[in-house]
Amino acid sequence: MIPVLETERLTLRAPEMADQAVYAGFLARADGPSAFYGGPLREDQAFQRLAADLGHWHLRGHGKWMVVERATGRAVGGCGLVQPTGWPRHELTWWLIEDARGQGYATEASRAAIAWGYAHGFDPVETHMRDENAAAHALAKRLGGRLIARETFPDGATRDVYALPQPVAAERRSA
Amino acid sequence: MIPTLETERLILRPLCEETDFEPMAAFFASERSGFYGGPCDRAQAWRKTAVYPGHWALRGYGPFALEEKATGRFAGLAGPWFPEGFPEPEITWMLCDGFEGRGLATEAALRGLRFAYETLGWRTAVSSIEPRNGPSLRVAERLGAVHEYDFRIGDSDLGIFRHLSPAVLAEMAA
Repeated sequence: MIPVLETERLTLRAPEMADQAVYAGFLARADGPSAFYGGPLREDQAFQRLAADLGHWHLRGHGKWMVVERATGRAVGGCGLVQPTGWPRHELTWWLIEDARGQGYATEASRAAIAWGYAHGFDPVETHMRDENAAAHALAKRLGGRLIARETFPDGATRDVYALPQPVAAERRSA
Repeated sequence: MIPTLETERLILRPLCEETDFEPMAAFFASERSGFYGGPCDRAQAWRKTAVYPGHWALRGYGPFALEEKATGRFAGLAGPWFPEGFPEPEITWMLCDGFEGRGLATEAALRGLRFAYETLGWRTAVSSIEPRNGPSLRVAERLGAVHEYDFRIGDSDLGIFRHLSPAVLAEMAA
């Protein structure tokens, strides 16, 4: 039911029980990027996050994939399109463990997810982020994102909203 | 894939977003949700709702949505539950506002316990309960569960209550 996408170096697949360690490890850190994802979280809270990410697919028909580095087979993060009821906009979201950053994986995974989004009724595919999330702003720009709004969200935080264009065919290879 | 079960007053079935999300959001907006990670806003409540189908997909089992037969209304959740990091798989329950005080949690939890023993093949089961959660402590007592040990998680010491064994439960049903 959950599609599998392939890029040059990555496979995007459904989250599964074996991914618990990657979720828990990423979300347990008090420093670094986990703060943008509600961290630091305990192991049981990380499990509930994993379950909610998988449940999102069951309830919505779209959600976050696990991002797997094909050369090593290891799961290095997540990427996908999410929108809980009660949240005004969908978003392309992604996270990567620390030692998988800096290799263009977020860009590569995002392009596959964006292409899938356009093929499944998201037009335009959007993303939004807090002002202090510099990595997410940089990625949105790298993906050709165009600033379309600045809004205050239900959690009280004001975020820039970007429309992300369809990736050109040469940049992706999805199965 | 998720079965449907029945008790005298309840249907235990898969969660359905259309009928169940608004009552879940109302529950998570209330102070009563404090023992279940609330209170929180609608978007957070939706994420907490998505946990249940995800739990079923990850574990092959999970809590059921409770539907009151007489009214067709969503009454809460109950059934097998096992977040990673907890010491043992357990039977959990939660009732929405207006469904308390009528023995529905006990009825649902008992059906969930029998499902865990008879269908999932569990040989034992516990429930973890916050010591200040009086209504849930009384449900555990009515089920014949006995406090066995404490488990510290975050800032709270959860009491771990051991349920009646499969043999004893089968004997009582006979």
